[in-house]
Amino acid sequence: MDLFVWLEHTSIANAIRTIRWLYPALETTHYIGLSLLVGGIMLIDLRVLGFARTLPLKSMIGLLPFVWVGFIINALTGGALFIYGATSFGVNHAFWLKMGFMVLAGLNALAFDLSVRRSRVDWVAADLPPTRVKTFATLSFVLWLCVVTTGRWMAYV
Amino acid sequence: MGFFEWLDDTPLSHFVAETLWAYPTLETMHTVGMALLIGSLGLIDLRVLGFKPELPLLETQRLLPLAWLGFTLNAFSGTLLFVSDAVMFATSYTFRLKIALIILGGINAALLGRSVFQTPSAGAPSVPTAGAKWIAGASLVFWFGAIICGRLVAYTP
Repeated sequence: MDLFVWLEHTSIANAIRTIRWLYPALETTHYIGLSLLVGGIMLIDLRVLGFARTLPLKSMIGLLPFVWVGFIINALTGGALFIYGATSFGVNHAFWLKMGFMVLAGLNALAFDLSVRRSRVDWVAADLPPTRVKTFATLSFVLWLCVVTTGRWMAYV
Repeated sequence: MGFFEWLDDTPLSHFVAETLWAYPTLETMHTVGMALLIGSLGLIDLRVLGFKPELPLLETQRLLPLAWLGFTLNAFSGTLLFVSDAVMFATSYTFRLKIALIILGGINAALLGRSVFQTPSAGAPSVPTAGAKWIAGASLVFWFGAIICGRLVAYTP
């Protein structure tokens, strides 16, 4: 694809190719972002599902800003890594599966968020998440596991 | 170096190194374990340092089983990954530094548990001591340091 070839010749890609420490630095930062993003999301999901009940549900859902920081770190570092290797990532099936799982995880998070905003009963304060919300939490946990798994497998397919 | 060379030639080592799915599966497990360990322990550290004061300090110890789960996953997967390429890992300075940081992180976590969760006073302390804050800060340095070293093993001597 011409787009991928063009991406690989942008100044960002050239910088990553020329500056030797940049690629490992981006990868390492991607792992730190992953810890915030996936670690935070799993804590929230597990809390919704009933783990660590004595921690208020509302404050655990309040961890979302950390998750967003992780997401932004990984969108930026992941974007740069993709630009550097666009022609190989662009044809990598594990990569596109990963993107697919991320879209699903995003839609799922949106559904979760709407359930928090639109519900007439304040189930967050009452600590009584409806079954629908527990389903979103379970799906979220599984989908992010799939994102991590397909991400790791990119190097092997 | 006799022992590590012997380890490299064990059937287990050959199995992990040469079976198509074994290495990526263990790597995936290691990444998920990392997110669980750093996500839960990191949240306790941040709470001790004063973030999210609405989380009851003593109750954050409910997250410790999750940290242990992450640690166990990573001790298991990490050991097998080590065995698959023992000489390389054993002679890597970056890997040795990672192990040192994990040992420091472990000792540090035990200290954190003693100073925050095993306080003799009956009343629940909502304000951690200055000492506990130093331990929590050190914990973040050790564990994020371990992540950084782990990623850089592939790029450094």
